[in-house]
Amino acid sequence: MKLDLANPAWRTALPPSRTVTADAPVSACAFNRDGATVAFALGDGRVRLLPADISAAETPAGEPVHRGAVLAMMADPAGDGFVSGGDDGRLLRLGTDGTVNELTNQKGKWIEHIAVHRASGAIAAVAGKNALVVKDGQTSEFGPHQSTVADLDFSKDGSRVACAHYGGVTVWSVGNVTLPPRRFAWAGSHVALKWSTDGKFIATGTQENDIHVWRIAQSTDMRMQGYPAKVRSLSWSADARWLFTSSQPVFTAWSFAGKGPEGKPPVQFGEEGASLITVVAAHPTAEFVAGGYESGELQLGDIKTRRSVVLKLADGSPITCLAWSTDGSRLAAGNDRGDLLVVDLRR
Amino acid sequence: MAMSQSSAQVPVTVLTGYLGAGKTTLLNRILSEQHGKKYAVIVNEFGELGVDNDLVVNADEEVFEMNNGCICCTVRGDLIRIIEGLMKRKDKFDGILVETTGLADPGPVAQTFFTDDDVKARTRLDAIVTVVDAKHFLGQLEQGDEAQEQVAFADVILLNKTDLVSADELKKVEGRIKSINPYARIHKTEKSKIELEAILDKGAFDLKRILEFEPDFLEHGHDHDHEEEVKSLSLTADRPVDPDKFQKWMGALLQIKGPDIFRSKGILAIDGAPRRYVYQGVHMMMDADWGQPWKDGETRSSKLVFIGRNLDGENLKRGFQDCLK
Repeated sequence: MKLDLANPAWRTALPPSRTVTADAPVSACAFNRDGATVAFALGDGRVRLLPADISAAETPAGEPVHRGAVLAMMADPAGDGFVSGGDDGRLLRLGTDGTVNELTNQKGKWIEHIAVHRASGAIAAVAGKNALVVKDGQTSEFGPHQSTVADLDFSKDGSRVACAHYGGVTVWSVGNVTLPPRRFAWAGSHVALKWSTDGKFIATGTQENDIHVWRIAQSTDMRMQGYPAKVRSLSWSADARWLFTSSQPVFTAWSFAGKGPEGKPPVQFGEEGASLITVVAAHPTAEFVAGGYESGELQLGDIKTRRSVVLKLADGSPITCLAWSTDGSRLAAGNDRGDLLVVDLRR
Repeated sequence: MAMSQSSAQVPVTVLTGYLGAGKTTLLNRILSEQHGKKYAVIVNEFGELGVDNDLVVNADEEVFEMNNGCICCTVRGDLIRIIEGLMKRKDKFDGILVETTGLADPGPVAQTFFTDDDVKARTRLDAIVTVVDAKHFLGQLEQGDEAQEQVAFADVILLNKTDLVSADELKKVEGRIKSINPYARIHKTEKSKIELEAILDKGAFDLKRILEFEPDFLEHGHDHDHEEEVKSLSLTADRPVDPDKFQKWMGALLQIKGPDIFRSKGILAIDGAPRRYVYQGVHMMMDADWGQPWKDGETRSSKLVFIGRNLDGENLKRGFQDCLK
């Protein structure tokens, strides 16, 4: 999927898009595996499905699937639907046909974060101080950690799952619950986590507005400072050369090519927004990155040319989630007011 | 450090008190009574409430130290997470109540509202409410520091189970509470029965609403004057305050004595300023802003209040005197 941000068409008009209004904050969005359907997780317990094709007829809103808010959602790695977690402690598998299957029920806990591994079909979810991994119909539990798990992610090959918590990161072997985990310590609370797309690094955002990155093979670590807010959104480029981060007014990328980012400032580019970026999402195959702002503005950047274009103007409602279709031709975004946006980037 | 106030921020009430004082009874009433308001309740023990309700959220008290070199800078990590989660819901709340366990120091809860930007953007700390068991309070004071610390932190106190003690005993308990914290508003209750307006949405941390701190000492409130005990201390001045000197002094004081100072508040007449300068602190976290303007002809006097342990009155007095013009 080739995007050329030098094309003057990007400057003369916003790209074609569809906006549907729901009346609850959007907590997550995702395209399903085949890219035909996009789903938005809502604060009223619903998961709203829309066709990825913005000219296709809109599908109607369904009934709530969770009691309370849907807190996390991703594409089902083992099917064409989605998996979701909510306030009600349930982890659900949702079919595009409206079927709902409960994978686990952790009553009294919130399922706030989910990670999926496409090749193995594994799903990981946070349940209090533990992480759950659902794979081949089996659920295994990892933990307890020293605090509630704040985020988690699979390694590139899906063999391990990393959990962020107070005091650092713990990495477990998915296939072997009894194997002692590997621990990466750094004082303080870690609030976001992303394993690099090449499997070599684990990055976290901390309570102290820093980023911490571990080089797994060498067990060395680095700390990036200077953010004015917590970095809740981290995204690695498809080739793992760049780590994109939220919480700056422009696109901010740390270079992991060659010797890595030590001693170098990050690359910053794009039109400075009137607010901070709240969510970043790297393109699934190419060198592009999408950034949603607290102001509601949405931008698309090209790390190679350092160009950026506006996809949506500011409207005062912070962007809360972003998702790329598998082929990178479409981008979905949700905000805290309940606007569901699908942008078609083919031009 | 600024804690901005706006109507969009949900007020948060911290509910503390010794085990068995009546917190659960109070929370059950708030959840089950018809008052037309919607309150989310964050509790530690799910089962205790006996109410199966979407509005009840279970929390483990996760006290996190900030990795920033500040020794008494602790926050409640679970609270940061839960408040963020609650804000994703479609239904908004009129308020949030946070219950702390009987033995927990309410400091980290309060500090969370001073230090975490995401929490500050969405919520505001309204008041710390402490439930005191009239029958067992004096005994609890002997068992450890918690009972007196909970009273020291309070903006509002429910002196509960008054039906289980004699008038004399009650007077004694009240006197002891006031010797620790004469600035909290005391409500005498049976079975935690109280109008919600008396405890919710009080704006105790709202700098714009603070005009004066009136201590409420009983005549014989000062029979317990051991240094190691928690007590309050107030300083006044009629000469205007030099803001630079004050800031330096207070900064250094909280840096060193922060762990021992549970609450500090002040209304200052700054030299040449038309408005009161108001501040509020919990341990070493402090929040300050310009408050109400002075009226014409009004006496412009300054007042500081400290509630804490091992307070050195002479030293504090001298330090404050040095900040005056």
